[in-house]
Amino acid sequence: MPTSSGSIAGPVQALINEFSKLPTIGPKTAARLVFYLLNRPRNEAQSLAEAILAVKDRVRLCSICFSITEEDPCAICSDERRDARTLCVVAEAKDIFALERTSAYKGRYHVLGGVISPMDGIGPAQLRVKELVDRIGSEHPHEIVIATNPNAEGEATALYLSRLITPLGVSVTRLAYGLPIGGDLDYADEVTLAKAIEGRRAL
Amino acid sequence: MLLSTLHLSNMRNYAQLELEPAAGLNLFVGRNAQGKSNLLEAISLLGTGKSFRTSREKDLIRDGFEIASISGEAHVRAGTVRLGCTVTATPRGTRKMYAVNGRGVRYAKFLGSLRVVTFVPADLQLVSGAPAGRRSFLNSALAQEQKTYYHELARYQKALMQKSALLRGDAEPDADLLAIYNETLVEAGTELMLARDQIVRALSESAAMVHAGWTGGAERLQIAYVPNVPFEVPAQDAIAGAFAAKLRALAQQERARRTTLVGPHRDDVDLQLDGHSLAAYGSQGQQRTAVLALKVAEYSVMLERSGEAPLLLLDDVLSELDPGRAQAFLSGVGGFEQAFITATHLPEGLSQARVWSIDAAQVRPA
Ligand SMILES: [Zn+2]
Repeated sequence: MPTSSGSIAGPVQALINEFSKLPTIGPKTAARLVFYLLNRPRNEAQSLAEAILAVKDRVRLCSICFSITEEDPCAICSDERRDARTLCVVAEAKDIFALERTSAYKGRYHVLGGVISPMDGIGPAQLRVKELVDRIGSEHPHEIVIATNPNAEGEATALYLSRLITPLGVSVTRLAYGLPIGGDLDYADEVTLAKAIEGRRAL
Repeated sequence: MLLSTLHLSNMRNYAQLELEPAAGLNLFVGRNAQGKSNLLEAISLLGTGKSFRTSREKDLIRDGFEIASISGEAHVRAGTVRLGCTVTATPRGTRKMYAVNGRGVRYAKFLGSLRVVTFVPADLQLVSGAPAGRRSFLNSALAQEQKTYYHELARYQKALMQKSALLRGDAEPDADLLAIYNETLVEAGTELMLARDQIVRALSESAAMVHAGWTGGAERLQIAYVPNVPFEVPAQDAIAGAFAAKLRALAQQERARRTTLVGPHRDDVDLQLDGHSLAAYGSQGQQRTAVLALKVAEYSVMLERSGEAPLLLLDDVLSELDPGRAQAFLSGVGGFEQAFITATHLPEGLSQARVWSIDAAQVRPA
């Protein structure tokens, strides 16, 4: 199927092009979204447009944890009931949303702003590593939980931080690898299974 | 292993193809550029998940289309398995997706369900060519066989790229970070070296036997693993120790030359005849015979280690060989379960083959 067509109205093609720039959205999905919106009332399109602009205009970074927030400090940092003795280090603010959905974690967060990857020009200096060390000095947490992704960059970042922080007298932990709940044991790949065996615990 | 059906859609010059290959020998005969190699490339892709011809995966998609799909059903020891691979062109590059029994899976899970030994004309340069060709020969054989090998290889290559970037950078490399990448290289690299050492020993033994049978034992073929980090005994501790020591010894030099100098990414394999390197001293005929023996050995070792015969794919190599060598090769492989061979002419002496003709992407029983 040809990818471009001269017969589609200019604004329609323009919006397809904009949607196609978004992650995980290809030209076909973009076209589906545009034709869906065409069939919706104007006020729906308006609130979508406003929500997009509001994200850019009203959202900023929390000056303590560097998560995204409308109020500074963010809701988590200003919540007195959160345990200030535990600090969870994540790569991106979106990881906080994933962890918060679980309601399993009661401590606070620190957003690095990425992971160490020299091939992408990102070293410790490009991340909020110094800010993390400063927070450890002023907030005196007992435990740092490193929750970077279990891929090559996430692992290297976790190792780097652990070597940096451990000498400061803080205990450093790493999220455990596990099997997906509800997944079949025989369907898990060998590597995940091996990691899960390494990280097994008593029942 | 047996491939019972193959379905192609918008792959290379094939619009649609449904093929039911026979057990045993399948011979595809046709003029050049009709789609013979494309067919073998598709079958190989179901085994390795990669093309044996190109790293430009967009080329796998038929001109003017966005998605190529390759699927097939195979009978393996564990039962029947359906394999699928789609290649999609997107504005951000080419994306490949894999499926096993209709379920989307990651590459590591897809790899090795179907095993293939391919033999293409470029392989004839395996002895005289650059070391990279011999390393990728080992990698391809080992990755199909052991999932952990592929995992360690990917881990090694990622750490190596990060370390190179760190060494090439403008600033003095962060010593802690360099140490972390070096530890990963030692961990993953040790596994690669162990696996390579083992498979080269097996290949050497098997190839020597085949070769002796062909040459009447006049010359002795030996295949030696030449690791960049030499080690005394093939044991984890010994290799990791030697690797770490060499990294320490060359640390200064790596920084000064701003490049990685130590590790299995600089390994090689040496093929020798009576103790003399074939690459340096062998005639072209001797080199070719050694490659044939190595390919037969690859097939036998895969069969021996897994207990299952891999598919044998020969793309246009018979015409590169004189009839004597071609016959010797096929009888060397012996009782294969299923083989796919392409040729421009019907070769002599291939009995019991199912012959197909290929013309302009049409495949018909001949
Ligand atoms: Zn905050």
